[in-house]
Amino acid sequence: MLRYLTRRLLLLIPTFIGITLITFVVIRLAPGDPAAMKLQAAQGTISSDRAALEVIAQTRKLYGLDQPISVQYISWVKRVLTFDFGDSYKDHRPVLEKIAEALPITLLLNVITLFIIYVIAIPWGVFSALSPNSVLDRLSALILFILYSLPSFWIAILLIVYLGGGDHWNLFPIAGLMSDGAEKLPWHGQLLNVLWHLVLPVLCLTYGGFSFLARFSRATLLEVIQQDFVRTAYAKGLSRFRVMVHHAFRNALIPQLTLLGTLLPSLLGGSVIIEQIFSIPGMGRLGFEAVLSRDYPVVMAIATISALLTLVSLLLSDLLYLCVDPRIRFERKGK
Amino acid sequence: MRWVTSFLSVLFLSQCQFQVEKNSQELVSRISLEPDVLNPILSTAASEMEIESFLFDSLLKTDNTTLEFQPNLAEAWEISSDQKQFTFHLRKDVLWHDGRPFTAEDVLFTFEKIQDPKVDSAMTRSYFKDVLKVEKEDDFTVRFLYRYPYFKAIHMLGGFQPLPKHLFQDEKVDFNQHSFSRAPIGTGPYRFKEWKTGRSILLERNESYWGEKPDIQQLSFKIIPEPAVALQLLKKGELDVLELNGLQWARQTDTPAFRKSYQKHRIDSPAGGYGYIGWNLRKPIFQDRKVRQAMAYLIDQQAIIDKLLFGLGRVTTGPVSSATDGYDHTLPLKPFDPEQAKRLLKESGWEDHDGDGWLDKKGEKFQFNLLFPSGSNFYEKFAPIFYENLKQVGIDVHLQRMEWVAFIREAEQRKYDAMIGGWSGGWPPEFYQIWHSSQSDQGSNHVGYKNSEVDRLLVEARREFDQSKRDAIHRKIHRIIYEDQPYLFLFETPSLVARHRRFQNVIEYKMGLDVKEWRVNASLPD
Amino acid sequence: MNGYWGLIWKQFFKSRMNRCALIIVSALFFVALLAPWLTSYEPNQYDLDSILLTPSSQHWMGTDDQGRDVMARLIYGSRISLSVGFVAVGIYVLIGIFVGALAGYYGGWWDMVISRAIEVMLCFPTFFLILAVLAFLGPSIYNIMIVIGVTQWTGIARLVRGEFLKLREREFVQASEVMGAGDFWIMWKHLLPNALAPVLVSAMFGVADAILTETSLSFLGFGVPPQIPSWGSVLSQAQNYMDIAWWLALAPGLAIFVTITAYNIVGEGLRDAVDPHLK
Repeated sequence: MLRYLTRRLLLLIPTFIGITLITFVVIRLAPGDPAAMKLQAAQGTISSDRAALEVIAQTRKLYGLDQPISVQYISWVKRVLTFDFGDSYKDHRPVLEKIAEALPITLLLNVITLFIIYVIAIPWGVFSALSPNSVLDRLSALILFILYSLPSFWIAILLIVYLGGGDHWNLFPIAGLMSDGAEKLPWHGQLLNVLWHLVLPVLCLTYGGFSFLARFSRATLLEVIQQDFVRTAYAKGLSRFRVMVHHAFRNALIPQLTLLGTLLPSLLGGSVIIEQIFSIPGMGRLGFEAVLSRDYPVVMAIATISALLTLVSLLLSDLLYLCVDPRIRFERKGK
Repeated sequence: MRWVTSFLSVLFLSQCQFQVEKNSQELVSRISLEPDVLNPILSTAASEMEIESFLFDSLLKTDNTTLEFQPNLAEAWEISSDQKQFTFHLRKDVLWHDGRPFTAEDVLFTFEKIQDPKVDSAMTRSYFKDVLKVEKEDDFTVRFLYRYPYFKAIHMLGGFQPLPKHLFQDEKVDFNQHSFSRAPIGTGPYRFKEWKTGRSILLERNESYWGEKPDIQQLSFKIIPEPAVALQLLKKGELDVLELNGLQWARQTDTPAFRKSYQKHRIDSPAGGYGYIGWNLRKPIFQDRKVRQAMAYLIDQQAIIDKLLFGLGRVTTGPVSSATDGYDHTLPLKPFDPEQAKRLLKESGWEDHDGDGWLDKKGEKFQFNLLFPSGSNFYEKFAPIFYENLKQVGIDVHLQRMEWVAFIREAEQRKYDAMIGGWSGGWPPEFYQIWHSSQSDQGSNHVGYKNSEVDRLLVEARREFDQSKRDAIHRKIHRIIYEDQPYLFLFETPSLVARHRRFQNVIEYKMGLDVKEWRVNASLPD
Repeated sequence: MNGYWGLIWKQFFKSRMNRCALIIVSALFFVALLAPWLTSYEPNQYDLDSILLTPSSQHWMGTDDQGRDVMARLIYGSRISLSVGFVAVGIYVLIGIFVGALAGYYGGWWDMVISRAIEVMLCFPTFFLILAVLAFLGPSIYNIMIVIGVTQWTGIARLVRGEFLKLREREFVQASEVMGAGDFWIMWKHLLPNALAPVLVSAMFGVADAILTETSLSFLGFGVPPQIPSWGSVLSQAQNYMDIAWWLALAPGLAIFVTITAYNIVGEGLRDAVDPHLK
């Protein structure tokens, strides 16, 4: 077990290098020079009052963009190892600070989303598995597919226009996560205010996820049900309830948990589209704006941090699987 | 399902208990991108400059109606007879928002920082590149020395916004990263209150302002990236003022309910700028004037204004604003006439010799790339129409939408064939940067226009201090450029704004609206 | 081996939902192929006097903000959406099979390196990477296909690797080896056909995902140029007109969701049909 652990940890290193190298190269090769970009107005026209591109060269020096790529990469990696991600090209604030502001928001959104998806999808899948191929099962499958195929931005705009807008029902807030002036409310008022703001974005983020998880849990439960040990349990005369709850579910739960491990990285991603539409300042929007403005330090930091955390969570999920599935444990011992 | 609805209802009812009252003394407006910095010499984005205009005073200000200069931070000024020396006498009673007095030292310091190569102020630096030096005569008098007489010098200097020297005394802190940019201190009618990252920026009225205090107590700038969402927020009453696009103005803000609460304003500013299609004159395909002139016959400009812009635009035939006297109104607009276009193209040698449906000349097919930046609803609609029109005459145009940064780079590197672009005007208008041949390699003259007569006229205009004489020169320039067609000039579009009716004294000036004059009435007028 | 696929299809056809979905999927192919015969309008034929018309007998799905016939744009758009789906998936299936086969068959060092590469790709915030690469290459229909192809091969690779690892130890493979068959021959004849079924299932879901990805990219401004009528770009152009021209958004939205649902159902149906047979 320990040997396996150390081997896995060591293998993280080449993966890490691979990730940072790829992101670095991709961003560097992109056209658009942050120095030149700063010189232009942002609203779709090039203002004729600006001139002097010789000053751009000065700015490039300022940003350190005039050194060869390999040198830039190495100096960057050195700083990452000390958790110094440098300063954003756009506003010169430390990148870590910008991420620290955006990450909790995205985490909040995603944790709630994931929780809701699990809470709804797993029972849904279980009930489908209990009466497979019935009319209800097939109908629910159809509904799940339909939900999956609705583009999120379309639904988001529909919700905004019809449920949060000025012309129709005005039930929900449509921008940000807290109303202005809500700081004056007592803590429970603030909490409710935030929750109310979360309803629409979370709705848009969750409905697509039901499909995969519900089908997955249905499939795993079905697979378990068909196995011998379940038939044995029935043969022993145990009630359906006992068989299901004590034997089938427990075993079916294992893959769900390990699946959670692989879903953890998506917690940090932040949906670019939903954050853009609902004006939520999370990681998705931060990353998107950084790509658009070639804010290299921010892009690199987001890619690296996501990758690191993903690696860790993959490791955790592998370990979890190892601990939880006794078959694997015994198999390995046997080897 | 029942669970969900009951949960939501409980949530709804409970959060209703905690509704936040909207402050009627506050003006809530929208910006689409979060500012990077609120420091006038580091700023490059329009949203930043808008906010800074409330926080920082400039040396002079322009009267809204007459457009003449008025004293501001400078109570008097003199221009030397050779038009190169500008002396400003500063007010003695101005205080920074932190209470310290404003002096000539601040002006000197700011100018020094603009010129400092280590400071990220490239754009501001280019404004003042012709200033040789700045001197302090005494604590409240400064003198600027220009390289040569330039009619716009007084405007550039008038717009100079000083920074407080006393806050930057710590040598160890890098100017570019100074926290000042996130919590600015100016001398202006509003002071900085709060910056909620990603959400909004708040300004409150400066109660100890040296000048006339504005009526609105608080300004809030909300960051809303999506224009469709911004419109909904306006209709909900969460925004008080919003710039509208053509579609929103014409079709989505017409209900009686909307008009009861909001008033719409349309401003056709002479500094509004124009849209155009630029032909890269370095490419052989566009070097024949006849070809460029032919292109002008392949767009039905008026129909596009009527149908795509909902009538909200003016056709323009040249780089000069049609709202000024520098515009030659005798030059006719080229109508939509594909036959005429084909004739001109034929004269230039372009015909469908091989019968494949496309024009060709010496074996080469008439095709080119047309670049345009993403993010503009209008370009998305316009480009395919242009594509169809050209296809009908046998020209194959490849539409290329590019992200803003990549688009700028293509323009800078002069690699494109043709591009759709726009210039936002400045005031007073000046055309040197865009049309002088010296600006062709590195400056704003990215199409590479070189006409010695125009060059001569441009230099003459720069030194002409008499407005009407300058207008006459501009008309001549307009005529020559009209013939040469380095651009296909498209339209000038107005600025469209909707604002809540509880704000009074909202006057539509030539240049736009002035929020500092608005007065708030807590209740809606009937 | 023919019997194998025959059995799968027989199982597949048992469900009515599967049959309907397959009909829809095939119908879409024909729509894409026969586009010019299905509509008299050109997708880019604009008419500034017919802007934003409601659906009528002249324009079955109304017109858009440039007077173009919405149905024509959707019909021609099926070509774009389907090509994006199939080419992108084609690319990543090829890459995935190649990579997975190498890892699964040869094992050892190859497996280690390739598994690391797979891990690297998995760790990436994929959508983010797609945006960044499109920003570099410039958005065009080909670049979108390539980018999706290059970022999504990991699923297939893992599948194929898993299959190869499992089957490699079987007797029939070892027998072939003993008989002196070449590696490629073994992979091609024995291992690959078994891996194909799950790959096909994955590919079906992949096409649906690719179409959805293209839709999101169009919304963000990274999609196809405006004169090309992909469903995603038609839908995203429509969102400005949500309240005044509902048909503009409804039509492409329906097209997208019917197509994706159909593909997902087919994929799911295939998976159910394939599974028992592998046991």
